[in-house]
Amino acid sequence: MKQGSNEHMQDSIVLQMNGVSKIIKGKSIVDKLTFDIRKGEIIGLLGPNGAGKTTTIRMMTGLIRMSEGDVIVQGHSVKSDFNKAIGHIGAIIENPEFYPYMTGLDNLKQYQRMTDHFEAGRIEEVVELVGLQEAMNKKVKAYSLGMRQRLGIAQALLNRPKLLILDEPTNGLDPAGIREMRDYMRRITEVEGISILISSHLLAEIEQICHRAIVIQNGKLVTVTAIGGEQETTTEVKLTIRVGSVESAITHLEGMEYAELLSMDSARSEVTVSLHDSRVPELVSTFSNKGVGIFRITENKQSLEEDFLKWTGGNRIA
Amino acid sequence: MRSFNNLIVNEWLKISKKRTFFVPYLVLILLSLLLGYIVHSVSPDIFESAYEYSSVMLLSQGIGQVITILAIIGTAGIVSKEYSQGTIKFLLIRARSRTAILASKYAVVLIYAFTVAVVGMLAVFVSGALWFGLSGGEDGIREMLTSLMYNSVSTVVYVTLAFMIGILTTSTGVTIGVTMFMLMIDKLIISREFYKYVLFPNLNLSAYEGGGAPIPGMTLTFSIVMLALYTIVFLLIGFSVFRRRDVA
Repeated sequence: MKQGSNEHMQDSIVLQMNGVSKIIKGKSIVDKLTFDIRKGEIIGLLGPNGAGKTTTIRMMTGLIRMSEGDVIVQGHSVKSDFNKAIGHIGAIIENPEFYPYMTGLDNLKQYQRMTDHFEAGRIEEVVELVGLQEAMNKKVKAYSLGMRQRLGIAQALLNRPKLLILDEPTNGLDPAGIREMRDYMRRITEVEGISILISSHLLAEIEQICHRAIVIQNGKLVTVTAIGGEQETTTEVKLTIRVGSVESAITHLEGMEYAELLSMDSARSEVTVSLHDSRVPELVSTFSNKGVGIFRITENKQSLEEDFLKWTGGNRIA
Repeated sequence: MRSFNNLIVNEWLKISKKRTFFVPYLVLILLSLLLGYIVHSVSPDIFESAYEYSSVMLLSQGIGQVITILAIIGTAGIVSKEYSQGTIKFLLIRARSRTAILASKYAVVLIYAFTVAVVGMLAVFVSGALWFGLSGGEDGIREMLTSLMYNSVSTVVYVTLAFMIGILTTSTGVTIGVTMFMLMIDKLIISREFYKYVLFPNLNLSAYEGGGAPIPGMTLTFSIVMLALYTIVFLLIGFSVFRRRDVA
């Protein structure tokens, strides 16, 4: 049973980083990075400035040579079988730059001529997906940054990739543009059914859209964490309860062996307790029976930002 | 093969879609006509026919030099512009090897130099026909094409040099500057034995016409071998640097 699920996992891995390092002048910019990207998954690549995010992405796409290790895309090595490996990847690295004197359509045709399987109508399809139909015959120099981002996504999808790599996709976009971008990413995973790797310094962005986050610092893997799946995995919950009387709440809490008092704030008449998820109703009924009076219960969830600061030591947020 | 043709189509579109694409050709045509007028007004009898006029003008002492300069300018940006525009990233993350991409660029450089040379030849010939007429003299189309060929050899060596410098410096300005400087000093001949192994004295193959030599002891075959060696070395350096370089 367990083996079966393992095999299934192997099948569904789109990209494998196998101990990838980049060493420049004896200094490791990226140090033995190992992680997987599975099918249909949106992954965030997080890290402070200079952590090696862009270097990692450039090695995945063959723009920078790896000093050690290898990247396997759909079973093909980026090092030894580059054309096949990169054929499964679509990417935007930093700002999307096009030939400014050509129209959007001419730019896309450039990249279509470099794909292996010519598909008539594919350009129209991706242009419609990003909503650029009206701008196709305009020169790219007349495009706004938001439009260039969309054209960037369109070129990345031309070869029907299994993995889309977006390096700081919301950089320089206004709030409306960021929201638009997020909608595109959701639509792409639905319509095209592909995995997305996003590197970003906007933690809230990652939190809203990604299934998992890979955190790196100083070129080393710090942690891989699931986002949004925490409720199922954590059995212990932290609750902040606003009560009528802090004193009586504390007295009763001391009598319970299943709940632990973490802190209290008498000015706001709040207590923070930690207990097993299944014991919450018990606590609530005890409190109301004893006349403690519950005004508000909020779960003390750590946001990704707090986690991030914890993991990376809190300094130099990207 | 089809995929390589597509790469060539891409590269050709990248230079031909520019609004300034026709400027070099126009410059060449206007300059040829103007030069013909000036030569004719100074000494109307110096050339007996358009063929003689063309076979002199197409050498690297005349319009031939302009052809080389325009081909160098066209070549200088073909690699470095990709870096300065940032388009190199989208170009290299395709299922095409860096060697194939660079080879297609070099092929387009040669095609471009060829079109400039052909337009230059036609412009010079028309100018010659206008001012000196088509009849008279001993020279014919053969002499004209020989001159074009002599000049094209040095044009190819120079664009290959510019192509390599463009890859090494990734700067269009530096590439044009350095290659132009070389073009300017290549007429200097230092009469020393070692100098025949330097690129410059070998570039002017027309010097061997009538049994002469730039430096005593040099032969046409020697020069052709030297030019081939230099071209191969330029290409080897260019390709190996382009293949290995990290795009940061």
